[in-house]
Amino acid sequence: MNKLWAVIRREYLQRVRARMFVVMTVLGPVVISLFGVAPAIIFSINAGGPVKIAVVDQTGKLYSGLYNSVIDERGENSSATASVESKAANENQSERFQTMGEQPKEVPELQQVTIGGRSLDEVRAELDRRVRAKELDGYLILPANLLESGDAEFVSRNTGDVFTRRFLARALSRAVSQQRLVEANINVKTVQALSEPVELETTGIGPTERKRDSGEAFALVFGVGFIMYLTILLYGQVILGAVIEEKETRIAEILFSSAKPFTIMLGKLIGVFFVALTQLTIWALAFLAFTLYGVGMLATRGMPVHIPAIPASYFVYFALFFLMGYFIYSTIYALVGSMVTTAQEGGQLAMPIVLVLVIGFYLFLPVSRSPDSQFAFWVSMIPFFAPITMPVRIVAQTPPFWEIALSLLLGFGSIVLLTWLAGRIYRVGMLMSGKRASIPEVIRWVRQA
Amino acid sequence: MPNPNPTVSIHQITKSFGEFNAVTELSLEVYPGRVFGLLGPNGAGKTTTIRMIVNITAPDSGDIEVFGQRITPALQDRIGYLPEERGLYRKMKVGDQIKYFAALKNVSSKEADARVDRWLARLKLLEWKNKKTSELSKGMQQKVQFLNAIIHEPDLLILDEPFSGLDPVNLELLKEVILELKADGKTIIFSTHQMEIAEKICDDICLLNRSRKVLEGSIRDVKRGFSRNAVALRLVGGAAVLADPLLVSKVQRHSDGLEVLLAEGATAQLLLKELITADAIIERFEMIEPSLHDIFIEKVTGNA
Repeated sequence: MNKLWAVIRREYLQRVRARMFVVMTVLGPVVISLFGVAPAIIFSINAGGPVKIAVVDQTGKLYSGLYNSVIDERGENSSATASVESKAANENQSERFQTMGEQPKEVPELQQVTIGGRSLDEVRAELDRRVRAKELDGYLILPANLLESGDAEFVSRNTGDVFTRRFLARALSRAVSQQRLVEANINVKTVQALSEPVELETTGIGPTERKRDSGEAFALVFGVGFIMYLTILLYGQVILGAVIEEKETRIAEILFSSAKPFTIMLGKLIGVFFVALTQLTIWALAFLAFTLYGVGMLATRGMPVHIPAIPASYFVYFALFFLMGYFIYSTIYALVGSMVTTAQEGGQLAMPIVLVLVIGFYLFLPVSRSPDSQFAFWVSMIPFFAPITMPVRIVAQTPPFWEIALSLLLGFGSIVLLTWLAGRIYRVGMLMSGKRASIPEVIRWVRQA
Repeated sequence: MPNPNPTVSIHQITKSFGEFNAVTELSLEVYPGRVFGLLGPNGAGKTTTIRMIVNITAPDSGDIEVFGQRITPALQDRIGYLPEERGLYRKMKVGDQIKYFAALKNVSSKEADARVDRWLARLKLLEWKNKKTSELSKGMQQKVQFLNAIIHEPDLLILDEPFSGLDPVNLELLKEVILELKADGKTIIFSTHQMEIAEKICDDICLLNRSRKVLEGSIRDVKRGFSRNAVALRLVGGAAVLADPLLVSKVQRHSDGLEVLLAEGATAQLLLKELITADAIIERFEMIEPSLHDIFIEKVTGNA
């Protein structure tokens, strides 16, 4: 027992004192939030400023509707449904460009081009030239029969800009349908009032309490899944590296002459677990401090942040499932480490493990969508996936207690089995040198008493 | 043997890895207060034998008793082991590292602190105590490794090639420490293929070749058994005496004189008498014992 403690102590202190640990602890939350928001940010980056689109309105009555529709799409001032009637003001103006002012960058900038007696082909040629000269990014041609046919033409330099194309299609559809209503003598305002969209106020029903919820839960589910995935992966790699180091440098031989190989392996797993736990605790405390002080501070500065209420029982579950995930994966990592001779080989042999973990992570999507499905049930019973899928289910829609208990039982049963297996392989593998152990060899080691 | 209770008693052990026999039916006894040399060429089975003594691996058959008992994990605390392939935690501080190995041998933290300082000072490493191991030279790392093996003051110390890569100054220092430990009544098993060193510090030896024991006993007995009746000579004249086939069977010329192998039945005494009678001027006349090196070569290459 003293020896086990000595190993745990060394693993813990060596790693917590390391500069790497401090850096990871500080940067971890930054990295995690980056992973959360980066895709959205990157997608919204519009490198070239607002997209400039010219509109040739052959119907003579749709431009202003389109203009308003574009403004509406920003979602900011839904009341700015400028009256369709006011379009008349724009209608008969001579050839001039009308630039829409004050738009946020994501919204295309529209310019109206009136034909003014020229043929459509002449106008096209002119616009093509302007697009090539990069004065415009594209142009939209609304044929005279648009209201009947429902077909418009969009010419663009960058056909890959799906974002703008979809945006325009949506705005145009709205403008067209409004115009159709006007022409059918139906009051647009009445229609709008009648077709006011329904706001779904989402309330989840837990086993005991009802909890109000509006989107933060998804963030929480994602966050939990992601942190589980990242920490297990990170510390699994730490174990792999540590085991290979002891094998490569032959420290293992001295260690084994001092204590049982199983004690050494277990001490290492437990020591690194406490390192991970320390890190998670620091993050949890930082999160707590943020909810206690930071949220209030931001709110007073006009930046309200919603933090979903997390019941204390969740933390217990998270801790249990993290414990389970950590030991399942790090035991396998230790096993792999004892089989290989270099870190490079270790990386290769560990690939399948990472793959399983990644699958587990991606399962969070279908599971969070229908947490009470049969599919969700089964994947949260498989010990390799459960550490991620079960916490996701717990947050999304807490399953009956017996399911959680069964999942934990299966998980911890697997840990016992895996540790036994890894212990047998580790004992022999750590003293091998020269080549990677083959599978038949490993099977023989396991069989040997 | 002076002491009736051997520290290590090995009886008919055999160990094989697949088709390969690493150790075959080996028996030997190691006594306290003596340095036991486990000698042999690379691949003879030395390291495998040592691993079985320290309980890293178990023999396929046969028995090993250490301190009069079948080896158990608890007994490991009384054994110190310096393996041939060196290993240190590169990123750990020297002092922490030695303390860790002490803790693995159940030495209390307080006791370990005192010992670490004492031993670092003894091996002239004290100013390196708080340096990372990777900053040390190879020779210094080797000394740290040695301290890892002895910090728990083991009754049985097993050293596998402890001197390889050491400069002469550090080699002397380490040799001194080893002989001190021996004087304290510790048992030392010393494995090497450097015969010159083995000759200087071993009391008893066991020579292994191709998994089997080929020779054992105290250095003195072994050498006596190999006495080849050779005489080192440096002289002027006496050529006729050396040519007498009744006296001399072979003459080897070295830069520094001659090495003469006596004929069967002839003695050194008789040779000396004949040389004096022949009025040769004798500058050097010395009976030479075969070196362990010669014995090793002879036994291993099978020219005995």
